[in-house]
Parts: sequence; C-alpha cells; structure tokens
Amino acid sequence: MSDPMAEIRASFFIECEELLESLQDALNDMDDGASDSETINVVFRAVHSIKGGAGAFGLDALVAFAHRYETVMDEVRSGKMAVSPEAIKLFFHAADLLSDHVRSARDQTPVPADSESCLQELEALMGIDHSAAAAEEEVSSDDFQPMGLALDLDFGDDDGGLPSLDDTIQDSVLVVSFTPKPELYASGNEPLHLIRALRALTEESKIETHFNALPPLEQLDPEASYITWSITLRGDVDESDIREVFDFVEDVCELEITSTEDDSGPFEVLAELISEPTLSDEAEVTAAIEPVSVNEPAARDEPVAAPTPPPSPPVAPSASGGGRQSSPSAEAGATVRVDLERIDRLVNLVGELVINQAMLAQSVSEAGLPPNSAVMTGLEAFMMLTRDIQDSVMMIRAQPVKPLFQRMGRIVREASAAVGKEVKLKVEGETTEVDKTVIERLADPLTHMIRNSVDHGLETPDKRLAAGKPEEGVITLSAQHRSGRVVIEIEDDGAGINRPKVLQKAIEKGLVPADASLSDGEIDNLLFLPGFSTADQVSALSGRGVGMDVVRSSIQSLGGRITIQSEPGKGTIFSISLPLTLAVLDGMVVNVAGETMVVPLSSILETTTLTQGDIRALGPNTNVIHVRGEFVPLYDLGAELGYRGTKSDYEGCIALLTAQENGTRSALIVDAIMEQRQVVIKGLQRSYGHIPGVAAATILGDGQIALILDPADLVQNATGHTRTADFALAG
Amino acid sequence: MTSLPLDPKVDLSKVTTLAATLKSHAGADLVIDASEVTQVGALCLQTLAAAAQSWRASGHSLTISPRSEAFDESLLVFGLDLDDLQSTEAA
Repeated sequence: MSDPMAEIRASFFIECEELLESLQDALNDMDDGASDSETINVVFRAVHSIKGGAGAFGLDALVAFAHRYETVMDEVRSGKMAVSPEAIKLFFHAADLLSDHVRSARDQTPVPADSESCLQELEALMGIDHSAAAAEEEVSSDDFQPMGLALDLDFGDDDGGLPSLDDTIQDSVLVVSFTPKPELYASGNEPLHLIRALRALTEESKIETHFNALPPLEQLDPEASYITWSITLRGDVDESDIREVFDFVEDVCELEITSTEDDSGPFEVLAELISEPTLSDEAEVTAAIEPVSVNEPAARDEPVAAPTPPPSPPVAPSASGGGRQSSPSAEAGATVRVDLERIDRLVNLVGELVINQAMLAQSVSEAGLPPNSAVMTGLEAFMMLTRDIQDSVMMIRAQPVKPLFQRMGRIVREASAAVGKEVKLKVEGETTEVDKTVIERLADPLTHMIRNSVDHGLETPDKRLAAGKPEEGVITLSAQHRSGRVVIEIEDDGAGINRPKVLQKAIEKGLVPADASLSDGEIDNLLFLPGFSTADQVSALSGRGVGMDVVRSSIQSLGGRITIQSEPGKGTIFSISLPLTLAVLDGMVVNVAGETMVVPLSSILETTTLTQGDIRALGPNTNVIHVRGEFVPLYDLGAELGYRGTKSDYEGCIALLTAQENGTRSALIVDAIMEQRQVVIKGLQRSYGHIPGVAAATILGDGQIALILDPADLVQNATGHTRTADFALAG
Repeated sequence: MTSLPLDPKVDLSKVTTLAATLKSHAGADLVIDASEVTQVGALCLQTLAAAAQSWRASGHSLTISPRSEAFDESLLVFGLDLDDLQSTEAA
C-alpha cells in the first residue's frame, strides 16, 4: 500500500506548482501596470498558501522564506507600500526563489543560496531594518496555520513539525467583537460561516448577539447591518488564528480582539450542541472552511450543493489558506489528476489498437469482400471510432505551453541581469497545447535560445539608444498551431545576425572554405554548426561554442526543425516547428523502389503526375519542375535514399509537393502512392540515433515496418541529383 | 392563520423581498414555515428579529414553525434563542 503521507505531500507540491503559476501570472499583470487589489491578493494568497502547506510538512526553510515574502506582500496589499518597477523586479526574483525553495523542499536538495539577500532587499523596500526583521521572524513564526491539511497524521519526530507552534500557544480567553459592515454582505460574505469557523477554533466558546438599535420592521433597511456579535473563545487559540478567519473580510467589518482574564460563565461546546449534521449541513461546514471570498458573490446565491465530499469534522477552519480560491484546482472542480504512467499506458494501448485495426483492414481487404458488405461498413465505423479514441487520448496528453513559457520568463530575468541589459519578455499563445513529452523536452533548448537572444541577439543599452531603439529590448516568445504542427518562435528586436562576422568566424574556424559564397540563409545556418561562436568575449551565459548545435539536435530528436530569419537592425526570429504529438501522425504511404515508406501528410501540399513539360533541367545534375508558376527543385527519393540510381526520365512519375516552415517547396519523386492513413510513431532515435531524412518508423497493417520520412531534413541533406553527369554542383 | 414559507437561503439578493413580504403581513398573526431553510444568514436573522419586534409591538403572534434542522443549527451558531425571532403575544 502506498504511503498516504507521501501522497499528500506529492499533492501539496503539485498544488505549489499551480500556486506558483498563478503567482507568476499576477506578477506579470502587476508588471503590465495592474494595481488592483485582487491582483495583489492573488500574489499574497499564493505565497500564503504555499507557506501554510509547507508548515504542515515541517518544511522550515520554505516556510521561513515564504513568510518573509508574504509579509512584504501584505504591506503592498494593505496599501502601506507603493509598488515601483524595481519592487516588481524584486517580487519576480523572490517568486523565482520561492519556486526554487519549493523544488528544493520537494527534491530535498540544498536551498537556494541568495535567498537572504533577496529578502533583505525586499524588506529594505518596507523600510525594515534587517536585524529587527529577524527578531520579528522569531516571534511571528507561528502566526499561521497550515492550509486544509489538519489531518490526524504523524509528522515524524517532533522537530519535523511546525516550529514552536505547540510551545507558544497557551490556553487563553479571547473576546472577539465582530460587526459586519453592509459591504460585507454586498461582497457575498456571510457572517454565519465566519462565526461557525471561529467557534470551531476551540471547543469552548460562547456568543452573544447584539442588535444595535434594530428598528421595527417598518423602518428596517434590510440591507443595512444592525448586528454585533461578541464571541468569547477559550482554549488553544491565539489572535492570529482569529484574524486568519477574518482574513478576507477585514476591510468590510469592524473586528476587535481582546484578551481577558474573566472566563467565568458557561461555555458552550458547539459541537455538542449541534446534533449530527445533515448532509447539507456538512456541505455548509465545508463552505465555512473555504475562504469567504469577495470575488464570488454570485456563488452565494446558490443553495449549497449536497455532493460535496463530507469533510473530516476536526478540520481547522483557519486552515482555509488564503490562496486556495485562486488556485486552479479550487476553481476547476471538474478536473482530476491522473498518474502520467496510466496515460502513457493508455496511449500505448491505443497505438496498438491502431496497428491492430490496420491489420484487420488489410485482412478484410485481402478477403476480397464487396465494398458495401456488412464487414466493410462495420470496419469503417470501427476505424472512425479508433480515430476518435486516439484524438481523445492525445488530448489528455496535451498541455498548454504556459508553464514552460513562465520558466522562460525567469531565464530572461536572470540572463538580462547577468549581462546588464533591460529586457522585457512578451509571451503570446501560451494556451497553445502540445504533447506533454514535447513540452518537457523543449525546456532545455528553449532555455539556450532565450539566453542566446538576451546575450547575442539584443544590443547593449547604449547601442540600442544609438540605433534609435528603446533602451529596453523585447524578446517575444510565441506559440501557435500551424498546419498540424506547433510553431514556437523566439523573436528579438536586436541588431540581427551580423552575417559578415559570422562568415568570417566560420572561415577562421575552418568550417567553410575561405572563398565560400554563401547565401544569407546559409550563413545564418552556420550558427548551428558544432563549435561555432561569434561572441568575442565568453560571457557567463553563452559564447562558449556550445549551444545552438545542441539545440538543433534536441529539436530534431523531437521530430522538429529549427529555422532562422534575421534582418539587420531589426532583429532575429528563431522558429521551432514541432509535431503536436510524438505518438501518431497522419501519413501518406508511398512506395519507393519497392520499399514502403510514410510521408507525413502535414508536409504535403499536393501530389502531381509529372508531364514532360513540367520538368526543366537546371545544371548538369538537377531538375526543377514548373508548378503553378513556380520552379520547385526535384528530388528523387529512390536515389536520395540509395535504393537505386536516378531515372533517365521522370515523365509520368508521381511527385509529392512538400513545404517547409520557411515556405521553401520541394518535389519528391515516389513510385506509387498506396494510401493515406494514420500511423503510430515508433521512435528510432534510441536505437539508431538521428538518421538524416528519417523521422521515425511505423508498423503497417501487414506487419511490415516502414520508415517515416522527414521531408525537410531529407531535402536539407539531399544531393538533389535527378540526372547523371560526370561532375557535380552543390545541391 | 397565514403561513409564510421562508426561502431555503435568504441573502442580500432576497432579503428586501423578505422584508417587504413580511411587511405585507403586518397586523395579523403569522406563521413562518422554515422547514425548507438550509441556512439562516445574518441579514435574514435581523429581518426576522425586526419583524418579531414589530409583531410584539402590535400584539400579534409570530411563530416560526415547522423548522428545518439547518434553521435550528444556524440559530445555535449565532447563539440565539428562538424566542428572539418570535412574538408570543396573542392577538
């Protein structure tokens, strides 16, 4: 049986990731000028919730960091601290460090080193002398409760629990005077929940309701507030517990908490007074422990639905955790977390189903049944169903690129600070969904490229000013779906690629002959050569000659391609084109010199049968074809793949007109088109490494293995020979 | 005697209607049926208390019956006695 504690802990860390994501979002909003209280609250609540959860697991370093960060955000929230651009930068930095702390707690790795300096800078913004802050920290380290995790769990040894919590809280008698303002009701809050939560803090409490000058019904303003409650609490409860209950309504009520020695008089044990709650009551209790949010007044109109899971009765109400309402998990009640392994198993099974279906189709077709027979009709329905299942399964694996892009935000901040440049990251299309595996494997190449853009792509501030550009450089990271693939672009508004310098470096390094005459595109592509670097000075970020070649091979291993567009003075765009999934693709099954292979359908624009008039010779070895007013280079797949030599005549041959992301077209000669079908991708990388022109393999209906071609890569590595001659020109 | 059903949940959006409905029954004995109530919020509470005050002043009875468990439980949480919301004056 799995360890329940480990599961809860894992679930906490998943929740942390969501909270960190909403934290980044809110900080981005603040950076874009948002100064409304809700945005600031989101930041505060995210940090607060992480702290609360961390406390439950005894993650002291995380708690300590989050606590001090939260204290600063609380100052902002209460309007005591103005938010300057410098402050926002620090908030971002602190959020990055918070994320490091979360990971360090999760992976039990050393805590980030520069936490203290960041916190001190933050606290300096508040005007706090650090030594005083440290002293306060000692005292206030107990002023929170863990978020909804007040479970009866053994947290191991005593030291592993919440520091000093048990030591500092003593039995006390506190009197809470609570007077709601009309705004409290207007914002959808209900005192009943608050009082219930308050009285649940301790077993012994008593309450008095005072109707303040309550007029008779005729003169009553039903929306005004006429009640003050006086609640006396005795037991293990301190003021911060109480304030936490009122955390979200403190601005819309009058709250007074006084300590008293006079604890005489009968105390009620509320739990005993209330009989076994009905199902709807339980739901209400759950509602009470959820934060009473000022953001969801509409929700208060609805009767509380019964099917809320019954809560464990002793859940501490103060454990509501400020940020929970902002966490996606709290909003999206209709989601479920599934172990990735299970999804992978499902994907594999669906892959097998597709292969099996293809085999079945093959058998049926070999049986020579009439097309309108029941078996054929049934098979067609089965194929459509398989396709639907496959699409649905793939959608489960698809995830938005947003978390990945958010990580890049941090890379930009760190990289720009390291090289002393002002850089703003603009993000577009972050909801674009891509297969989870693709996203995971994209992080490293993207990090390299972002760093490169900051370091090489953008000019120094003085050069930018001299060029009439704003001092702050802009890097735009975008994602979009384009013709069955996802295209991720990293665009900078820098100086563009210095092509003469690139060429010179390449010649110096012996990568190209000294007299080479290269096109702009070819010069740009030199950047991807191993060992190439144009940086005169090696910086901490780049210029060591490793990077872009590694980036390209990583992208290629994902079945993707990378291209460069650059304009001097305007900037550079790196485009990464990736398959949406690494599991299946729609392909055209073709025959080349007796070999069956698959060409991805997404790369095929059209197919054509060549006539003599279409084919034009270009040089001694190459042909182009004339299609729709354009000349397109002709590649003979049989010859390029080494299955046979070139043909003497291509008249009557079938050509697949393919397009690359950069718009380049090429015509691939095949011997026959067999069918169009969905194929399951079986990677070859692990066994054979990268094979030029081959993306992967698949298993066909008859059990044969067929190679899946990568037309763009194939063309890049092709000779282009479609004619025989004694000498050769570069293809 | 008129029996007035109370909504399952009276909040800001419904309390004005409740007050108006109660006013329209002023000057006569009234029974409020709270059997469907899932929660007595503070606004509902003060309206009922104000009504009880008026009914007492006019010498009419105001009774809350039958009551759901949730109704009674809400009163317990608020620390109120049922009599705070009723008028036992006979007409």
